Amino acid sequence: MDLDASLGVSASGLRAQSLRMRTIAENLANQDSVADTPGGNPYRRKVVSFQAAMDRATGGTGVKVKAIQNDQSDFVKVYQPGHPAADAQGYVLRPNVNGLIETADMKAAQRSYEANLNAIEAAKSLTMRTIDLLK
Amino acid sequence: MSIGALDASKAYGRAASIGNTLSKAAGGNDGDDQQSGFGAMVENLVGGTADKLRSAEAASTKQVAGKGDLIDVVTAIGAAETALDTMVAVRDRVVGAYTDIMRMQI
Repeated sequence: MDLDASLGVSASGLRAQSLRMRTIAENLANQDSVADTPGGNPYRRKVVSFQAAMDRATGGTGVKVKAIQNDQSDFVKVYQPGHPAADAQGYVLRPNVNGLIETADMKAAQRSYEANLNAIEAAKSLTMRTIDLLK
Repeated sequence: MSIGALDASKAYGRAASIGNTLSKAAGGNDGDDQQSGFGAMVENLVGGTADKLRSAEAASTKQVAGKGDLIDVVTAIGAAETALDTMVAVRDRVVGAYTDIMRMQI
């Protein structure tokens, strides 16, 4: 039944968004992770990309995470001569994680997750109401 | 009363024909056709529901053991709930049709 398929599609959305949420959490947790050797590279921000994926069992087109890639933007350079990771000029490379961007991304993931939850709720209640016609 | 009885017999006829096709597909016998038809239909429904309930149980066991996925548990239990509700509704309907026919004036 198509309502069953829509449950599967929404479930794939929940899975994809929870993985996105995990990646955001990793970015936030590592926004101060710098190298421990002079001139070394710090944590690089990760981004999730999605892809439509057809589920052969139900015929519904859900979503899946295509790849978790590294954000190639430049690291932030901070002058901190005494730091263990400072290079010869006294600069430390800090992760290319921006708290504001991560927070906005987190809100988007949260909204999308909630939208999928609502879709599941709606499909379930429609199924139940259809069964109730028999009663 | 007469309209109610007519409805009931129609519902019963529909259910019986569904059951017959099901039992024929499963290679059911010819004698006592309607009895086995209804039986086969209920068996089919109960079997399908039991399968879904089992997979829901397996998903929740895995989740409790810390190996499962919460989303899997939710979808499996949702599917089992829907199947069970459908089975109960159809059973009530068919049994209701039976009792309606039993009460019918001859």
